[in-house]
Amino acid sequence: MAKRISESLITKIEGHGSLHVDWEGRKAKLHVVEGERLFEGILVGRTAEEVHWITPRICGVCPIAHNLASVKAVEDALGIIPNPTTVLLRRLMMTGQMIQSHVLHLFFLALPDYIGLDRATELAEKDPKAFGRALRLKEVSDEIAFCIAGRNVHPTTTTIGGFHKIPDKSSLQRLLRMLEKTSPDASWTARLFTSLPYPELDADLELLSLKGDGYSIYDGDTISSSRNDDTSVKGYKEAIEEEVREYSTAKFGSYRKREIMVGALARIAINGKGLGQKARKFAKSLDLNNPFHNNLAQAIEILHFHEEAIMLIEKLIEEGMDGTVVRPSINPPLKGIGAVEAPRGGLYHEVHLREDGKVTYANIITPTVQNLTSIEKSSQTLLDSNPAASKEELKRLMEMLVRAYDPCLTCSVH
Amino acid sequence: MQREAKKLKVGIFDFTDCEGCQVKLVSLRERLLALLERVEIVNWRLGQEKNRMDRFDLVLIEGCPITQDEIDLLKLLRERSTHLIGFGTCATMGGIPAIMDQKERAKWYNKIYGPQYKPRGIDSLPLTSYVKVDFLIHGCPVDENEIVRVMEELLSGKKPAYRGYSVCFQCKLAGNPCRLINGKPCLGPVTQGGCGAICVSGGSPCYGCFGIRDTAQIEGLLDILKGMADKEEIERYFTMFLRYTKEYNEIVRPFMERENG
Repeated sequence: MAKRISESLITKIEGHGSLHVDWEGRKAKLHVVEGERLFEGILVGRTAEEVHWITPRICGVCPIAHNLASVKAVEDALGIIPNPTTVLLRRLMMTGQMIQSHVLHLFFLALPDYIGLDRATELAEKDPKAFGRALRLKEVSDEIAFCIAGRNVHPTTTTIGGFHKIPDKSSLQRLLRMLEKTSPDASWTARLFTSLPYPELDADLELLSLKGDGYSIYDGDTISSSRNDDTSVKGYKEAIEEEVREYSTAKFGSYRKREIMVGALARIAINGKGLGQKARKFAKSLDLNNPFHNNLAQAIEILHFHEEAIMLIEKLIEEGMDGTVVRPSINPPLKGIGAVEAPRGGLYHEVHLREDGKVTYANIITPTVQNLTSIEKSSQTLLDSNPAASKEELKRLMEMLVRAYDPCLTCSVH
Repeated sequence: MQREAKKLKVGIFDFTDCEGCQVKLVSLRERLLALLERVEIVNWRLGQEKNRMDRFDLVLIEGCPITQDEIDLLKLLRERSTHLIGFGTCATMGGIPAIMDQKERAKWYNKIYGPQYKPRGIDSLPLTSYVKVDFLIHGCPVDENEIVRVMEELLSGKKPAYRGYSVCFQCKLAGNPCRLINGKPCLGPVTQGGCGAICVSGGSPCYGCFGIRDTAQIEGLLDILKGMADKEEIERYFTMFLRYTKEYNEIVRPFMERENG
């Protein structure tokens, strides 16, 4: 009978799950025990405009990603192409989202593993200067979200076809000054995470990310694999399958029936050429077969999105802003797909509408669902490649491995 | 040492939800550190590795108790805590998961997971459906300043009070044009303030996530809403967050039934 690795839940991850190891048979399973909220049912009967209000509540760590995936899905269904200002502002929101989420994960959840602390707030006592840098990055990313999305958690300004409200030039200038001040903190983060002792693991990873022009997280239209097996976003549902397992309230995803890893490491593997100048230098030290390096990849992304935020704001100020909200086209298809790269990887929302704008069907595939199969497989590789390690040591390493994937079990059971 | 021993023992727990209210807690940044100096966090799964299940002076619970394990843990936490506080709308009113009732949930388990699946969820109800709760910090998500205000009051031994004004009060201060005067539905007039009218300021409606305020004139608002929205739309507004409130069941629902008749 499988003995539990621990009766308690894995700490310092988003949501509720535990690793169960059968030590005799040496098999690892990830049990997700989060309650089912049934969002795909909640959305049916609601209006198109309520979709992007409701879906951010799937996840408080990546609400902007859900908000924009929904807005994009509904716009696709209504034949709406938003104007260039809207796209720039949404891309700016996404840079804030990425930094917010990565800072939370790296400093509050993952870093204690690497420097031997119980909790991040201990860092505040041991190295207040370092902790101060983490807090400043959290602050600047929250400010991006406040300024563009209306709030740091759960946006209030976004709407189908554009924004209810766009920021004025002076708030963007204020943001720019904050970003300029925190640039050294972003570079420091990339250096810090380059210097950490990551456990060795060759997990033979297939990495998957949306791909478009540049380091595309908002408008990638191809699902691209490190094994050169690409799919158009339109075919997401056939390519990414979800399997129900009796021990988990989250489904387990696969890409063309293979285990894949999504997230920061995958994005750099697929879109690395589009990284900003400063970030690109750090990408060379990444081991694309070691899932622990996802933490390093997230740190590199903090630097990249920090640079990108500055670039986007300068562009918005220079080009001027157009707050026009685009109306639905005549005879729209009423079925749409919205895909973005959320902090943890590719996020897909599909929405079908009735003529009166009510939702008849919704489908949501989250990044963590896609990662769960890979987490189990990598845990198994860790078990198999360390036959001499003690149970205690393996337990510690496996929890650290799960954490390195930055799973959001909250998202996975939506 | 003497002073250390007097620190309040606090537990932060999360049931099924988006964890956005805990993100808000972390967003307090320096203020969170100041708060942590005054208490001892003995249990916080999201924040720390070492956790204990002692007696608690104060327990904050985020999320909706959907599974049997969560309901059991809630009851245990009630027994072991002096003050039990609901943290965020999922805990205080059921939140977004409470949009669907038990019957609708049963249908969707089948559609989403298939007929073989054995659901873990029982229902999506607020904490108060199972235990006595000492104070409700409403909000989807909670507001940083409200967390600080309530925590300060609790730490100084006071019983925290609910805000005695509606969202409209802060909405006026924010200089927003009134949605209702412009023919757009809004639940601001009957909703407890404290949020800074952040949703209306962003251009969205108020759906009442801060809970119904004391002495709210719900019938009056329903009469106004009737002039700008159909029954279904009014129902959608009130069921976003308020389905399990007393006011929804005693005033809004009968009003809808009368309108039907």
